[in-house]
Amino acid sequence: MTSKIINMAERIKDAEDRLLESMFDSAPIADDGFSTRIVRKIRRRVWLRRLALPVAAVIGGAIAVKPLAEVVTAAVRLSSLLPEELVTATTSLVPQVPMIVLGGMLLAACLLGLRALDD
Amino acid sequence: MKNAEDSQLVARAVSAQDTAAYGELVRRHQSQVRNFLRKLTGDIATADDLSQDCFMHAWNKLQTFSGRGSFIGWLLKVAYTTFLQSKRKSKRYAEILDQLGHKMETEGQNYSVQPDEVTDLDKLLAVLDEEERAIMVMSYACGLSHREISDATSMPVGTVKSVIFRGKQKIRTSFDIKDHQYG
Repeated sequence: MTSKIINMAERIKDAEDRLLESMFDSAPIADDGFSTRIVRKIRRRVWLRRLALPVAAVIGGAIAVKPLAEVVTAAVRLSSLLPEELVTATTSLVPQVPMIVLGGMLLAACLLGLRALDD
Repeated sequence: MKNAEDSQLVARAVSAQDTAAYGELVRRHQSQVRNFLRKLTGDIATADDLSQDCFMHAWNKLQTFSGRGSFIGWLLKVAYTTFLQSKRKSKRYAEILDQLGHKMETEGQNYSVQPDEVTDLDKLLAVLDEEERAIMVMSYACGLSHREISDATSMPVGTVKSVIFRGKQKIRTSFDIKDHQYG
């Protein structure tokens, strides 16, 4: 109710307000291609944004293909050189990996928490 | 498209990245935004550059338009922020040049027009400071309510009212107008 009264009071204009409105009034500005320029700019930006990820993926893939193939070849060669006992020992260690990762994450969380408390 | 309401066009522009819908919004409101910035800067070219920046910023922030107030009110908020940011940038640029021993004429620092083009409105705007000018233009040229001006300038409604009161007083004093002698 109060806000309605305030809004109504705001709408009641006196002669001074009407004079100021006429003084501040100015002719509308013709568009003259302004909106077309804005839309063209935005369309270009939208396209650039849509293209950015696929183009980056293609370029990154093209750059990474050769070294990746070399790494895979080297890994295959290396695995054939490893003694059989070492391969079985690594397999037995694999179940410990999640615990190590979890421990690392907990440590990182603690360090971040301490830093936040310090701040 | 031409009969659609602003809020419908905004929804289409946000949900489907519909540039045609946004183009219609620009066509509808470009005149008010450009007039607002021309009155703030006093320079047509600067105002038109700022208007372009304003509409680009508005496109990026369109999803933040809640639809509670009018779209033009929200757009003028973006325009005013763009104006203030550009002022801050040119001020910082001038400070750096100053530190380096160069002097620079900063565009849009104060309201100034070419002497041969001075209109009554220019004289009127020249007596107001930047904040008063922005608020008076929003109120009397763009027809925003005090609440909308408060949203656009992030000022309390009471402050907006007192700035308008102060602006009116300055105009009365500068142009030797007595209370309510108009009409």
